Amino acid sequence: MIILILVLFGLAILGMAAYGYKVSAKTAEDYMLAGRTIGVVVMFFFVLFAVSSSWTFYGYPGFLYLHGPSYIYFVWGSVAGFAALYMFLGPRLWAIARLNRFLSPVEVLAERYESPFLRVILSLMLLVFIVPYVGIQPLGVGLGFKALTGLPIIVGAAYTVVLLVILVILGGMRIVAWVNIFLGSVYASALLGSLIWVFNRFIPGGLREAAQILMVQNPEMLSAPGPSGYFTPVIVGGTMVVGLMAFSWPHIVIGVMTARDKMLFKWFPILIFIFGGVFFYTLPFIWGTLVAPVVMPGVTGKEAADSIVQTIITKQLPNWFSIYVLMGVIAAAISTAAVQLLTSSIIIARDLIQGFFKPDAEDFQIIKWARWSVVGIVIISLFVSLRYTKAMALYLTEVTIPGFAQWGPALVGGILWKRGTKQGAIVGTLAGLIYLIAGLIYKPLFVGMHPVMPTIIINMILYIVVSFLTQRPSEEIQAKFFDEVDEFLEAG
Amino acid sequence: MREILRHTPGRIFIGVLFLSVVGMLFVTRYFTQKILVFGWMTLPFFAGLVMVVVWLIAYMIYFFKYWPYR
Repeated sequence: MIILILVLFGLAILGMAAYGYKVSAKTAEDYMLAGRTIGVVVMFFFVLFAVSSSWTFYGYPGFLYLHGPSYIYFVWGSVAGFAALYMFLGPRLWAIARLNRFLSPVEVLAERYESPFLRVILSLMLLVFIVPYVGIQPLGVGLGFKALTGLPIIVGAAYTVVLLVILVILGGMRIVAWVNIFLGSVYASALLGSLIWVFNRFIPGGLREAAQILMVQNPEMLSAPGPSGYFTPVIVGGTMVVGLMAFSWPHIVIGVMTARDKMLFKWFPILIFIFGGVFFYTLPFIWGTLVAPVVMPGVTGKEAADSIVQTIITKQLPNWFSIYVLMGVIAAAISTAAVQLLTSSIIIARDLIQGFFKPDAEDFQIIKWARWSVVGIVIISLFVSLRYTKAMALYLTEVTIPGFAQWGPALVGGILWKRGTKQGAIVGTLAGLIYLIAGLIYKPLFVGMHPVMPTIIINMILYIVVSFLTQRPSEEIQAKFFDEVDEFLEAG
Repeated sequence: MREILRHTPGRIFIGVLFLSVVGMLFVTRYFTQKILVFGWMTLPFFAGLVMVVVWLIAYMIYFFKYWPYR
């Protein structure tokens, strides 16, 4: 039964990928940026479910379960960060890319700072931090497979990888965006449906009853610093700052460049605030802080906590519904990993191969390189994730996000600040990156702060100081990246 | 953002968002109290909800009434 349902689910995704291949324009712009035709509703599903990985089902509620409600500050920061990307950076980045036919955000910055060297640094840096995260998604599904069927983790991971690779290779950005609507609907309904079902069965009094039970049995779950004393006020604040850096996630930044027109940036934040912030992310929060601690108290250890939602569903709800929830998890994993995979392959094909070895490449060659790199990235990412297994919540917040953040100053400055220079961008980025790597190896270098804080401060200060100390960008660059962009946006 | 900072409504908009983030950081000191808003909302959840509502209102007023590219 399980096998049959998962085969049908997989065939549905593959069918959409094949259809996407059939209708695509076979140009690099179409494959990489959906022909710059994504409207506001598709963009919302595309971005929300590119962000909402299997982490929202495992890592997030698991960490809440262990440490109490304060971890939600990461989500509040992320909501603000995504909104800021679309309100503040989005219109200009979109306009620059559209006017100059740029296909990757790294290409935008390389041209803005007139630096092929910066292009290499940014490309390699983003790949190093994004690739392991791609591998975590199939492993998350493997965890769900194991909880539901008892099969080894590798079975679920392999199933996900096959779907993922075919979807990205055939479909490109447009169909990944469209498939995210389907996958996101499955995921959201599984998350919401399971929550309602568990409430009806175990906590008929609803949210208030759950909170009252915890107030008696486990009151530490309802406040900081949480059951293990982790969330001091400084840590809570730092967690929010980490979330704010969401504007620098490369697979989200590239989404901006797929927009159909500038009006998208006017309407899009409504969906982020209402459906993303208030509705969607509240579901795993309720799971992790109220439902799981009441229904299954006493679980300890990161791995057990990471799969607490799946465990409750598998043990307490009918088997057919557990399968549906697993489909939801697969959907979440694929929707995120597909966008990450596509982003990585674009960086490899456009910024590294075409940028350095074959500048006059034809579209079909760029697409071919992107497709081949998809296979390579999946293999490397799975190897890295299997070799260096770590709790999912921590990997995201402790390694990936600080890594993504290191191109933040160059990105923001390049788009918004005329005075930002090549030297400033290179020095700031390299300093932040080296500091981060050194600190991850030798923790005391972070002086008790979250990795993102000291590294981004150093990065930002150096970017600004070095920019002021070096020659301002040429008139030509200022016109191309600022004056012409202003005129284009004002003209409508 | 360059266009937002060029006029007074935009600067007010940015100021409101900035103050809400500062407020979020400030209120963390009260999170040790076991207060449940509406009987179930823990303080970290409620604080964020207020921030999102503030951002939503500020954004709607600014982007639909004052944003130069609207």
